[in-house]
Amino acid sequence: MALDRSRIGYCLPAFTVTVEPAALAAFAEAIGDPDPACREIAPPTFMKVLEGQDNSSRRIMEALGADLKRILHAEQQFEYVAPIRAGMKVSVARCVADIYDRREGQLEFALIETTFADEEAGVLGRSRQLVLVRNPPRSDEA
Amino acid sequence: MNEAQSRYFEDVCEGMELAPLTKTVTTTQMFLYSAITRNPHRIHYDEKFAHSEGLPTVLVQGPLQGAQLSAYVSDWMGAGGFLKKFTYSNRGMALAGQSLTLRGKVVKKYELEGRPAVDLEVWEENATGDLLVPATATVFLPSRSTN
Repeated sequence: MALDRSRIGYCLPAFTVTVEPAALAAFAEAIGDPDPACREIAPPTFMKVLEGQDNSSRRIMEALGADLKRILHAEQQFEYVAPIRAGMKVSVARCVADIYDRREGQLEFALIETTFADEEAGVLGRSRQLVLVRNPPRSDEA
Repeated sequence: MNEAQSRYFEDVCEGMELAPLTKTVTTTQMFLYSAITRNPHRIHYDEKFAHSEGLPTVLVQGPLQGAQLSAYVSDWMGAGGFLKKFTYSNRGMALAGQSLTLRGKVVKKYELEGRPAVDLEVWEENATGDLLVPATATVFLPSRSTN
């Protein structure tokens, strides 16, 4: 198994991202959503953009010892408390909530929990991302 | 539905289907999505790398498929709705240029935290009907009785 189990509970230092109107527009274009409402209020999965800033996904995966070529996005949950709006300064806190495996370690899963908060509005939402690491079969290991 | 319009709780019933929506994700869109989400995985933009992984072409990002499904829900509920919870799983691979169809239905109509709410099942399938991304959404809808 590749992932470092001692990292369960590991958290990155929280970082702050300003919700730029240009980023909202770029995201809307990327997902093919022409809706102009998305330029003021972030589309629901914009949390994916916020949590990916500061190279945080890569840093978490490196902290877990994951081979970046072997990871896939398996599942994601978003919970919304209040709308994320252009101009907000969103604090992003990410922690490794769990690591487990299936199929005798060939499939490993890391659950990353993220909380999004604004100084004035409080908690805006939460995400839970399940990352899949496809390990080579054991017979390939020395 | 036009985002400026609202779908009211009273106009929704359990079992009601959402109008299907067919989309094709282009490599340009995938490039833009990788850029905005800072996703450097080569499997999404490097055709040679995708071939070395045994794929005929580059793989559509799982979160991009999730984003399209959440936009599909947002469009259905209209401007007066509030998406409370959204969960999706990437079960099957979607390739660039493939025709992908989004579908959904209302599975539950109830009160949550004192507000009118519905649960939806939505999903993405490919042209042969294979389920690629199952998802669930809980949305608050406005009620005619409180407006």
